[in-house]
Amino acid sequence: MKSPNEINIIKMKDISMVYDNGAIALDKVNINITRGEFVFIVGTSGAGKSTFIKLLLREILPTSGLLVVNGYNINNMSTRELPYLRRSLGVIFQDYRLLPNKTVYENVAFAMRVIESPRRLILRSVNSVLDIVGLREKYKCFPSQLSGGEQQRVAIARAIVNNPSVIIADEPTGNLDPETSWEIMDIFQRINAVGTTIVMATHDKTIVDTMQKRVIAIENGRIIRDEASGGYGYET
Amino acid sequence: MKLKTSEYFIKEVATSLKRNNWMSLASIGTVTISLFILGMFLMIVVNLDRMASTLESQVQISVYLKDDISQKQSEELKEKLEAMQGIDSVAYISKEKAMERFQERLGDQKYLLDSLDSTNPLPNAYEITVKNPQMVKTASKEIEKLPGVDTAVYAQDVVEHLFDLTQLIRSIGLAIIIFMFGATIFIISNTIRLTVFARRKEIAIMKYVGATDWFIRWPFLLEGVVLGFIGGSVAIILLRLSYLALTQKIYDMMTFFPLIPLYPFLTYMTIAIIFSGIIIGALGSVISIKRYLKV
Repeated sequence: MKSPNEINIIKMKDISMVYDNGAIALDKVNINITRGEFVFIVGTSGAGKSTFIKLLLREILPTSGLLVVNGYNINNMSTRELPYLRRSLGVIFQDYRLLPNKTVYENVAFAMRVIESPRRLILRSVNSVLDIVGLREKYKCFPSQLSGGEQQRVAIARAIVNNPSVIIADEPTGNLDPETSWEIMDIFQRINAVGTTIVMATHDKTIVDTMQKRVIAIENGRIIRDEASGGYGYET
Repeated sequence: MKLKTSEYFIKEVATSLKRNNWMSLASIGTVTISLFILGMFLMIVVNLDRMASTLESQVQISVYLKDDISQKQSEELKEKLEAMQGIDSVAYISKEKAMERFQERLGDQKYLLDSLDSTNPLPNAYEITVKNPQMVKTASKEIEKLPGVDTAVYAQDVVEHLFDLTQLIRSIGLAIIIFMFGATIFIISNTIRLTVFARRKEIAIMKYVGATDWFIRWPFLLEGVVLGFIGGSVAIILLRLSYLALTQKIYDMMTFFPLIPLYPFLTYMTIAIIFSGIIIGALGSVISIKRYLKV
């Protein structure tokens, strides 16, 4: 059941995730993330970052523990509620995941169309988010005609167009050069400034060190550090 | 579902059919062939079934009377026969009538009877038809016990074989129809799986942005229904043409052959085949998309 007025937008209590092959991806993890926070999830590859993200999206179910995302109890919710959980989250991936045969405009509008938004609202919202990411004039382009950074900006536009309360980004700058990465981070900061919670998994040391936001470091499935305003903490 | 959404679905289906035109054609062809075979079996089974029951209903019992009974005894016997349960009709065949029939049947070989001079060895008889052919056996046993009856005979072997044969045809026909149905669903689901596979990324994105499973399923479902419907329609056109041609041929050769009348049989079959096409298409697509919805 959903209880929307919770301050904690993500609440993890003793969450463990053991895969079928016996690999322990997360081991009794406790995290609270409140509305409006900007949180980096850091750790080496295989540390459990991806599992963390997948749990938030309810792509997988935790082996044990309590997980509440945006008021949805991940363990107890029905599959019928899943689309509504996803609508309250904006997801961004390292590989952008745009539809190659749709234009920039269509890719963003797609996110609204599948939740059956009225057409007039789609037109207005898509134009406004394309303004935010600075791609208004490229609305007719296909993804193949765009640079990596531009494609990721389209993905961000798609993630925010339905006004989610949380943005979940899995290595969003992983495929981008440092300069382009900063453009993306700049957009994230602006989105965060209007109150949207941002959870970003990354292993980009420079970005984490420079931004001085909350850092949760995961290693071998355990949280080894959780600082309100910290740096990456160790060498990559 | 909102109007604008259904518009979107229809557009999706049209695009998909156009994009995969060869695959779509192949699916339609498969549905057509499967449903055509299915329809053919249906026609054969229904007609054989009908033929069997026609033959069954023609089975009659001949009750031969003892030569020495009087007219009155004979009439009493008739009353008794008519009073028996499950008896449809009782007809008296005098020995003279029986001889006439016999001569007729012999035709050109009538001279064989010359050696009999004018004696008639045939007995008087009653010909009985029963309401339910399965009662023939018990009824004739009962009848033999009645006074004045010499023997009661019927085409025992024919009747019993006919029962076995109809049963066999029914079961084989049913088995084949079920098998064809399953095979067609399998083929359709494989075809649609190609479309689904080609669009698996799109499906995953739809799931991530919060589309409901049914929203994702509808275009594929409709695609399957359209494929099934077209395939079924082509099949029924072919079936009707072949059935009309076949019945014409059969009637030309054997006028008495007890075929199912064309109507309403063809109407029922049209409905059944097109409906089957739609169901097969829908089931096939639902099965093929299932795996990709688990994101």
